[in-house]
Amino acid sequence: MTAFLSSLGFGLVTASVLAIAATGFTLQFGVTDVLNLAYGAVMTAGAFVAYVLNAAGVSVWIGLVVAMIVCGAGSVLLNACVYAPFQRRGVSPITMVIVSLGMTLIIEFGVQAAAGGTSVSYSMSDGPSLRAGGLDLSVVQLVVIGLSLLVMAGTHVLLRYTRLGKAMRATAANKTLARNCGIRTGRVIAVTWAVTGALCGLAGVVFAMDAGSFGATSTDLFLVLILAAVFLGGPGQAYGAMLGAVIIGVATEVSAAYITPDYKYVIGFVILLVMLGVRPSGLLGARA
Amino acid sequence: MSDEPLPDEHAPRRAGAPLRAESVTAGYGGDPVIRDITVAADPGQVVALVGANGSGKSTLLKSLTGIVRVTGGTVTVGDTDITRWAPEAVARAGVGYVPQVDDVFAPLTVRENLEMGGYLLRPARVAERVDHVVTVFPRLGQMLTRPAGKLSGGERKMLAMGRVLMLEPGVFLLDEPTANLAPAIARTLLAEHVRRLADSGAAVLIVEQRARAVLAIADFAYVLAGGEVRMSGTPARLAADPAFTESFLGGAAPRA
Repeated sequence: MTAFLSSLGFGLVTASVLAIAATGFTLQFGVTDVLNLAYGAVMTAGAFVAYVLNAAGVSVWIGLVVAMIVCGAGSVLLNACVYAPFQRRGVSPITMVIVSLGMTLIIEFGVQAAAGGTSVSYSMSDGPSLRAGGLDLSVVQLVVIGLSLLVMAGTHVLLRYTRLGKAMRATAANKTLARNCGIRTGRVIAVTWAVTGALCGLAGVVFAMDAGSFGATSTDLFLVLILAAVFLGGPGQAYGAMLGAVIIGVATEVSAAYITPDYKYVIGFVILLVMLGVRPSGLLGARA
Repeated sequence: MSDEPLPDEHAPRRAGAPLRAESVTAGYGGDPVIRDITVAADPGQVVALVGANGSGKSTLLKSLTGIVRVTGGTVTVGDTDITRWAPEAVARAGVGYVPQVDDVFAPLTVRENLEMGGYLLRPARVAERVDHVVTVFPRLGQMLTRPAGKLSGGERKMLAMGRVLMLEPGVFLLDEPTANLAPAIARTLLAEHVRRLADSGAAVLIVEQRARAVLAIADFAYVLAGGEVRMSGTPARLAADPAFTESFLGGAAPRA
């Protein structure tokens, strides 16, 4: 029971990091139509932005905010300078995936060139441990869980109750019709890159906090879990990604405690494959 | 960041905006699909575009709304030349377009669809216009929280029309609004709603397969074939032309 509860604690933290990352990823994909596999690399870049500031003596929490701004702006540029020009030429979606893989390598090697090949970690205090109902979590872990809940609630409010959020959903559902309504979808898409890029930066920093130490390629495997959560929930479905993140996050950590940690990424993907076999559109995706 | 609502004095108004397409040639990048087409619709008029499948009717509407690239000719609304404007700019110029398919935002609720139709309006005005559209299409009022994807064909087309009504455009472009509708619903839609749009002062350009039904409510009609205008005239004049009745009304004598 103790083993289960402690793994459940890890699972909740992993699920929280995953939920932030997957919400941003699925929103980005749904609205912009780009399956941006460089998302993991942008997370790493965000984690390193916070690291550079942290190493210079700045609080990692300030670093987190700066990382969100840098990744938001960087994602807008990534789209404007790379993805949008390719999209305007009408290249196929699979070509865009290859382009985003290329960007993954460019960003990761860029980070490596700037930061060196060794793993680094933030200098921060985890704060006292808190026990409740058999769960044992540090203050930092609780903050990560809290941030994740905030991101999910904020996404809900954005998409359901704001003019911008509804325009994002309209653009995702039917871009031409959105333009016929007078919506400047180019701007909506640019704002989407900024918002989801900021979420990506946030996810990168909390991922690095959770991992303890990280390097330029640390998010490569995590991207697999993001994809699993996103496609489990149904691509483009914000609530689906949140649900998928909780299922994948908890399942991988609990299985790591009972089977072996080596298999946790495999477990995440097995869940996805079973799901795709049973219901290809994902848990909350529209039926074909 | 996001689009600002239009100031009221710039909001599109129903009052008089004649639509003119002069010698329009357009296509998808290869050979032009429509050539040298000239059509016009004045405020208060329903103007019908009829013709067989593939005659270029839908392409003409798409070229007027900026979805398909115009390679020759001009499109004007009132005194404004909107040739080659982007679709979002055409909407801002007071042109409302109901496509034949993909005419609603399926995952959004009925109310959200109407709100997107009124995207360019102030928030308070959006609520007023939703109330108005619901009086025009009472059925929509009973299903404001339902996702558009779950509506029946007839309800869905009402929503598509209602979405366009939100902005009170001076020009309506309707692409086969009665396709896939039961004949009774189709007649009601044309006789009540489409005709009423024109009667309240808008210019209506409508593409229809149901030639007889649309001619019953139209003031003028163009017959397209092979991407060109082959015939044009009032419904009465066309009905008296054997070349037209044999091709489009099955040779039967037209009912008034």
